[in-house]
Amino acid sequence: MTPVQSESTALTETELDPDAAQAAIEYCYARGWSDGMPLVPATRPLVDQFLAAAGRSPDEIIGRLPQLDRSVTVELAAVNAAMAGCLPDYFPVVLAAWDALMLERSTTGGGWQSTSGPAPLIVVNGPVRAQLGLNSAGGAFGPGFRPNATIPRAVGLMVRNAYGIHPHELEQATQGLPGRWSICMGENEEESPWPALATEAGLPAGTSAVSATLLRTCEFVDNRHTGSAEQLLADFADTIGRSGAWIFRHASAGIVFCPEHAQLLAGAGFDRAAVRAFLAERSGRSTAELASVGKDHCDDNGVRGPGPGSGDDFQRMLPGSEAQHLLIAVAGARNAGISMVVRLFGGWSGSAVPVQRQGEL
Amino acid sequence: MPNAILDPTGRADVAEAPRAGLTLAARRRDLSGIRVGLMDNTKHNAALLLAEIGKLLATEHGVTVTVEATKANFAAPAPEDLVQRYRDECDVVITGVGDCGSCSASAVADGIGFEQAGLPAAVICSDAFVVTADAMAELRGAPGYRYIRTAHPVAVLTTDQVRERAKHLLPEVVAALTEPVAP
Repeated sequence: MTPVQSESTALTETELDPDAAQAAIEYCYARGWSDGMPLVPATRPLVDQFLAAAGRSPDEIIGRLPQLDRSVTVELAAVNAAMAGCLPDYFPVVLAAWDALMLERSTTGGGWQSTSGPAPLIVVNGPVRAQLGLNSAGGAFGPGFRPNATIPRAVGLMVRNAYGIHPHELEQATQGLPGRWSICMGENEEESPWPALATEAGLPAGTSAVSATLLRTCEFVDNRHTGSAEQLLADFADTIGRSGAWIFRHASAGIVFCPEHAQLLAGAGFDRAAVRAFLAERSGRSTAELASVGKDHCDDNGVRGPGPGSGDDFQRMLPGSEAQHLLIAVAGARNAGISMVVRLFGGWSGSAVPVQRQGEL
Repeated sequence: MPNAILDPTGRADVAEAPRAGLTLAARRRDLSGIRVGLMDNTKHNAALLLAEIGKLLATEHGVTVTVEATKANFAAPAPEDLVQRYRDECDVVITGVGDCGSCSASAVADGIGFEQAGLPAAVICSDAFVVTADAMAELRGAPGYRYIRTAHPVAVLTTDQVRERAKHLLPEVVAALTEPVAP
């Protein structure tokens, strides 16, 4: 338990000062720092606990957008994480999530300003999940759990405050994605038939680590009555291959499988690579189908638009069957066959970033 | 004495007022005989729109289009070697089309970058992105930087409609490159 928890829980109701707290919250709103929800006012002693938990130099620059002449330091990350409602112990996960996102081209380019309004997907592996009380079971996409809700919010506040990317100004989301700044889950390793996502990404088994990417949108596949792995995967292929979010020659995706679907597939002999191979081959649309929605032809820049297309030749959506093009994780309760298909804003780095806690390097 | 509330922006010490206005490149008295560079940002119809404007400038104002290049990454300002190429081979630059969140801001940043390299620039942005374009101008120390606004959307226009748009924009392009800018 952190000092923050022990201090606040030691105070009785009459010793707390709600009027002062409300005034401080309004001060933060007035300065334009909030994403719309109340912020925890950050103070030096609180932020110092965050910095101590991570053990990284406060001056270290962890992100930079040259076109805006703005950067994020570990210190600024800590201030924003505190304001987001994180506990100090969450901070190493916030930093790992940020570092994982920085491995993608779009996050160091124009992704945060995009009309797509993409949302980070943050998946945590290893013992840190239990240490922080990070939900990996029912309701993994939220809400209801402090670390799941506040870690991605911290990332959003870093973009807003440290980069200065505000909605209606430098942030130009046409509609934005439901769940933006709120999608963070533990992988349900306990009920997954497959190695941890971070292990697949090359880290030793049992490592606390974060994998992250930006999402364009999410859509679930509810299929709880087939016992056939092929039928189940065909349902995923149909959903992945939809044309709506498909705007370039190829598009990458991901699946957050519920335990029931993952176990059914594993029971039929499918590991992650076999699932990807199946879906890479079958996710897509015929040229005629794409022509009917004005997306059959790619211009010189690889952007889809109307063309002369006709015919039954099949256009694959995924660029290939490698992990970078189809991220596969397992989360949720084992109570129904409901899994989430996610669409990647760009591609996934395919890497996981270890969570570095002070004294655990 | 309670603890101070920390600023999450890293800009607490930075002056609120925008940086002093940059000096923009001197405008051309007229365009006759000058060398024009076109820089498209890969957005759909950008290359065609710029090429059509270049043709109209050649036939109606006697310019020569000397560089027609593409900025590979629309989200980021043009790299220095590309700016240098325009500096070496052109007298003015026309660029666009800013029609997305990051590329509109970057198009304005490019225009200001060309100005600082001594080249008058005409930047074309979709009118749906005025706020983000203006925000970038302020960020780059050129609040109120003049750029050309065209009706959104540009990407869905047919070839003929792009030609019409080029004709419609031509007087504004000429004005942006020739009318004196405020000191």
